Amino acid sequence: MNETEFPAVVAEGLVKHYTGREGAVEAVRGVDLEVSTGEVFGFLGPNGAGKSTTVRMLTTLLTITDGRAEVAGIDVAGDPDSARKRIGVALQEAGLDPRQTGRELLHLHGQLFGLSPAAAKERANELLALVELEEAADRVIKGYSGGMQRRLDLAAALVHEPDILFLDEPTTGLDPASRLTIWDELRRINGHGTTIFLTTQYLEEADQLCDRLAIIDDGLIVREGTPSRLKADLRDRLGTDEEPTLDDVFLDATGRTRARAAGEVQEVSV
Amino acid sequence: MNATIALGRRSLREAIRQPDALFMTMFIPIFFLVVNTGQAAEIFPSDTTGFLEGQGYGAFQLPITLLLAASFGMAALFLVEEIEGGYFDKLRAIPIPRYSIVLGRLVAEGAKGVVISVLIVLIALPFGITIASGPPGFVLLIALTALWGVVYAGFMQLIALKTRSAAATNSGGLIFFPLLFLTPNFVPRDMLTEPMEVAATINPVTYLMEAMRSLILDDLAWADIWPGFAVVAVLGVVMLVLNVRMIQAYD
Repeated sequence: MNETEFPAVVAEGLVKHYTGREGAVEAVRGVDLEVSTGEVFGFLGPNGAGKSTTVRMLTTLLTITDGRAEVAGIDVAGDPDSARKRIGVALQEAGLDPRQTGRELLHLHGQLFGLSPAAAKERANELLALVELEEAADRVIKGYSGGMQRRLDLAAALVHEPDILFLDEPTTGLDPASRLTIWDELRRINGHGTTIFLTTQYLEEADQLCDRLAIIDDGLIVREGTPSRLKADLRDRLGTDEEPTLDDVFLDATGRTRARAAGEVQEVSV
Repeated sequence: MNATIALGRRSLREAIRQPDALFMTMFIPIFFLVVNTGQAAEIFPSDTTGFLEGQGYGAFQLPITLLLAASFGMAALFLVEEIEGGYFDKLRAIPIPRYSIVLGRLVAEGAKGVVISVLIVLIALPFGITIASGPPGFVLLIALTALWGVVYAGFMQLIALKTRSAAATNSGGLIFFPLLFLTPNFVPRDMLTEPMEVAATINPVTYLMEAMRSLILDDLAWADIWPGFAVVAVLGVVMLVLNVRMIQAYD
């Protein structure tokens, strides 16, 4: 990774409106963000807070209603193709072609990113080794476990050695062992200098992986900082000696509490 | 163009890995060929039925068989499956022209149309069906079938892109399907009842079917053949333009 004078990700007044079945929806209402090169940045929020919509705008998958965004110094709306060359994307629920083998999928992505057939083949082999899927490489993806699919999805996002990797809830639905494997992969990828922009529902995951994080609620950023800074701020504000958890920070920031409803613990607004 | 070819190759691999789908694509049209011929061959004996040009009734039915087979393409269903599963977004996040995602599937659909129509004609030959226009006519017949497959797949892909739902895409195909049957598929157009003749005359698929029938029953009769190519050319361009516009505007 080259040291650059610009941040990896910048969002200024990012807004997304769309018309859904229930009428006009303001999914994101003016998000400002700055992610430094080489950081692991966590983006947290309750369901429907605007996390995925923000990621989809930053990754050129959704048009921006208002505001502007840059990745690797490139205006996302103005030059989406150049932006796509610099980012890797793994969205919620590993989106893979179930009828291809793992090797075929990575080879195809290599070719789509402009590698020659030989280079694409070599890159596919490197990535299969990186995510430890060499043995399953020639099996069709339909037969992969959830964890294997997530790792392959991660590998597919890395084919072109992106500067910034966007991961939307990369461990949702995985068992604890698979989750730890993904964490190891992410640390390794970040260790090579790749900036990681990660959304997650798991606060422990954010605490373990992220250098810095932002919490979004109802389309607006409500907290931003390092996990330790956010916890310290809450402790100071509450005036307690006990160290708050990131969970406490999250509930405080989103004005929610947990209550039992319909037999399940749910987050509810207070 | 490279992305279109790479994605087209992927779609062909996908089809090869679903042999059951390919089997059904061929089985149902051939089933109708056998049943329709069995039901009507006695009514239209080849020696006394002028419009058969000396062939059996099966030759007259072959065009609808080919058109049906070309209309059973799976491109749109695989596309909508990718939209629902998230792989479509993965492809959209790659710096390739977005139209190559839909064009790749259409190119593959054309190639599949060639293979399926060649197989159906080869199956039909031992049953006394001949291509009266000879090898050039055979090539034109296969080309017309494959191009129709591309047009139909293009229409289905539009529904997939618009609705993003497998259920809606499945039922959306039913809108286009009646066009295959509002045609002179059992007897020539001039033998249809008046309302059916009017419907068939305004239905563009009629001209495609008559071109294919001409290639099977006659020498190269260009006056009958060119309208068929005009239909697939015009509809093909319309579907292509709409597919490209739809994926460019996809949000």
